[in-house]
Amino acid sequence: MQTSEHNQALSSALKGKARLRVLGLTFDDVVRYFFGGNAAVAVVVLALILVFLLKEGAGFFGQNRTNIQVYRKAGLEYVDMMRAPLEEFSSLTRTLNDVRLKRFRALLAEGRDTDGANEALKEYDDFATAFGAAASEARGVVSDITEVATAVKTRAQVSADREDEREMLLKGGKAEQAAALKVDVVDYEKEIKLITGVAPAWKAAVTEMQEKLRGAVSVARGADWGKGDKELAKVLVKTENFLSVLPKADARMAAWRWDEPVPLSRSVTAFLFGREWLTASFWQDWYGILPLVSGSLLVSLIAMAIAVPFAVSAAIYISEVATPGEKSFIKPYIEFISAIPSVVLGFFGIAVLGTALRSLSQVEWLNWVPGFPMSERLNALTAGCLLAFTSIPTIFSLAEDAITNVPKHFKEASFALGATRFQTLVRVLIPASLSGIISAILLGFGRVIGETMVVLLCAGNRIAIPDFTQGIGMLYEPVHTMTGIIAQEMGEVAQGSIHYRALFMVGIILFLVSLLINFVAQRVVRRYRISIG
Amino acid sequence: MSASQPHLFTTPVTGAIRFERVAFSVFRLATYSILLAATIIFGIIFVKGSETLFTREFPFVNTTFLTASPETLHVFEHAGQKHEMGDKEFRAYLEKNGNPQVSDDNYVYSAGGIFPCIVGTLFLVLGSMAIALFVGISAAVFLNEYSRGGPVVEMLRLAILNLAGVPSIVFGLFGFGLFVLFAPVFGATPDPAHFSISLGFTCLNFSGWGVSLLSGWFTLAFMVLPVVITASEESLKAVPKGFRDGSLALGATQWETIRTNVLPYALPGILTSSILGIARVAGETAPIMFTAAYVVSDRLPWQVDKAVDVLFQGVMALPYHIYVVSSKIPQNAYTERVQFGTAFVFLALVLMIALSSVILRSRLRARYRW
Repeated sequence: MQTSEHNQALSSALKGKARLRVLGLTFDDVVRYFFGGNAAVAVVVLALILVFLLKEGAGFFGQNRTNIQVYRKAGLEYVDMMRAPLEEFSSLTRTLNDVRLKRFRALLAEGRDTDGANEALKEYDDFATAFGAAASEARGVVSDITEVATAVKTRAQVSADREDEREMLLKGGKAEQAAALKVDVVDYEKEIKLITGVAPAWKAAVTEMQEKLRGAVSVARGADWGKGDKELAKVLVKTENFLSVLPKADARMAAWRWDEPVPLSRSVTAFLFGREWLTASFWQDWYGILPLVSGSLLVSLIAMAIAVPFAVSAAIYISEVATPGEKSFIKPYIEFISAIPSVVLGFFGIAVLGTALRSLSQVEWLNWVPGFPMSERLNALTAGCLLAFTSIPTIFSLAEDAITNVPKHFKEASFALGATRFQTLVRVLIPASLSGIISAILLGFGRVIGETMVVLLCAGNRIAIPDFTQGIGMLYEPVHTMTGIIAQEMGEVAQGSIHYRALFMVGIILFLVSLLINFVAQRVVRRYRISIG
Repeated sequence: MSASQPHLFTTPVTGAIRFERVAFSVFRLATYSILLAATIIFGIIFVKGSETLFTREFPFVNTTFLTASPETLHVFEHAGQKHEMGDKEFRAYLEKNGNPQVSDDNYVYSAGGIFPCIVGTLFLVLGSMAIALFVGISAAVFLNEYSRGGPVVEMLRLAILNLAGVPSIVFGLFGFGLFVLFAPVFGATPDPAHFSISLGFTCLNFSGWGVSLLSGWFTLAFMVLPVVITASEESLKAVPKGFRDGSLALGATQWETIRTNVLPYALPGILTSSILGIARVAGETAPIMFTAAYVVSDRLPWQVDKAVDVLFQGVMALPYHIYVVSSKIPQNAYTERVQFGTAFVFLALVLMIALSSVILRSRLRARYRW
């Protein structure tokens, strides 16, 4: 007993001060936990990002399902089955117009005047007019029914809004007002009968259209003026395909039911694989992410195609070839580039680069480049060039680290065997640092795909999937991106609306993509690192 | 030995060496073309921007541009002369001349200056860096001084790495969802429209901070946190282990050791490396678009009724102003001045910050060599 007291006295004398304990914690413990808590902020923030994106975005799928449900109930889906072939047909007539324009220009180039050229194209014009007129009956049917369907949809929306209002009143305890609120119940069945009632008229119109088109095609095939024109032949083949596909829509229209429930999975697939992002349209809003994803990918791939060769070459040059003087100048300079704010780069694209690239593409002797001249000043290429700039510093500094970190004796062994510096580089240094270089490229890609201001300002902001049939010309198309659409539309949407939630869903996709890229980059480094030791 | 005869130990120029020379010059070309492209960008913005910023007469700097608020530019013809003037001047001119009917072209934000934007950016940077430095240094101290490895620390490091890769626009959405819409404010009575907790003497209403400086500070701070943590850890690692051992051997507790023997030596390094973080905070647009930035605000941040309102107001910011003037108004000779001028001021500001970081760091390296 005495010894223990003695020991205590001794130990407190040795420590020099009495330890104050609060909740069993000494002051040092408190400090330690305080610092630990701050370190945990990173985890907390990551979790909060996910939570709050989900909080705002999760309601999207339910709302989108309702959106699609109304689309079906109001008969818009049915009408779209008729509109789709007509739209395809319109694109055929547009190609015919293009063919005419080309022929007209060729005739002018031959030395004819405008009247003479028009005269020479008379037969072609007769054919084109007959071709275009083939669908007039069907167009009439569809335009009438479009109005009916839109009216039903509007009424459905109004009654849904009233329903919401009534619920709000009931919640607020205002039962009387709620009862007084008249909710117009839409009798879908009756309305749908009106819409599906056009089926016979539509069938008749389609039969007529088929006949007329067959006639027009056979005329074009038989005539002299149609010979040897590849584009025209293409249109004719396409028309024949169109004619053979046309009757298939009938079966789908017959099988269609207005009261078939829309499963939640349809709402998810409509988002993930939807080919259209259409908002505030008079007909039907679609929130499909594919045009945005493809736009983001196109721009990022252009950027990477430019950035990777330059950045990796520079990394090799700095780590292996450059003199110390060059190094001390170039490294900080490239670091400097990373400090350029992206909005300034975007502004540079709008004010200088876009115009410069377009006038370059209009230079006579560059005509051989596919897709030149560009039609738009702001397009995927403009944005890609500038994005390359934002990723070069990232790729450069990480790749340079990777190459410099290869142990010296690898290099010395190679030199000792008589290899030149270049041989050593290609056979020893690059393979040894390849995992680091690849992860640098991946992280650069992550930066590029998450970059906002450059693409918002320079990518042209046209929401459409790039036309892959154009080959290289695709690079000069204006596109819209995932990051750009959030920045552009977030300020204009009503809080809690389906559009608002769709933007948050895009944010979630971006967040997950960035996590995935980081994960893969770390994996690559760990898995393929040559064990050094 | 004749002059044409090569020296015995000269490396013969073989095919491999010739190839090597070509390959290396390709690498050199690639490197220098990056530098060239950057120089062109800097050059064009500096040259065109300096037309706005500098004048031929004393004081050689366009003080209006730096000290006035943005105004609408009116371009009109009156009495046979072409005039260009800002909004206030335009009205005064009309009044003086008896309100004549003039047809004017107007361009928003193209006259006046960018003073509120500069001030707003400074406010944003100072607040967010204060938060980021506080949290970031503490986190780095934990990771470098206290932690002894293990799965938890691995997870923390992984989270920091991943946080660095999150796109800035996602931070913007996050900041909007959390700070603008949900963050708690004190109120005398519970707010029925939002979730609220009663604390007896006061109420916490989760009604959000709105588009405000405070929302912007936290959003930017969390965005830049990984940069600050990484920079701080590097500086802490550079402090030799002997400093800590010596202090601990003399009986100091761990906190005393850190306070007296580690932080004082690491702090200069931490601060200079964090300057790069400042450049990032000042340069980002996407996170503040929905959280802190106003397109236009007619008051300066300190012109408020109550002191606390300073925190709960949106501000104009340079990067957002550049976005607005380059995308929302047409490109022509009149608007170009403000566009290039703003870009020039902004770029110069950010590059100066970055440059000071680079210089300070190299000086520091020379001074502290253990």
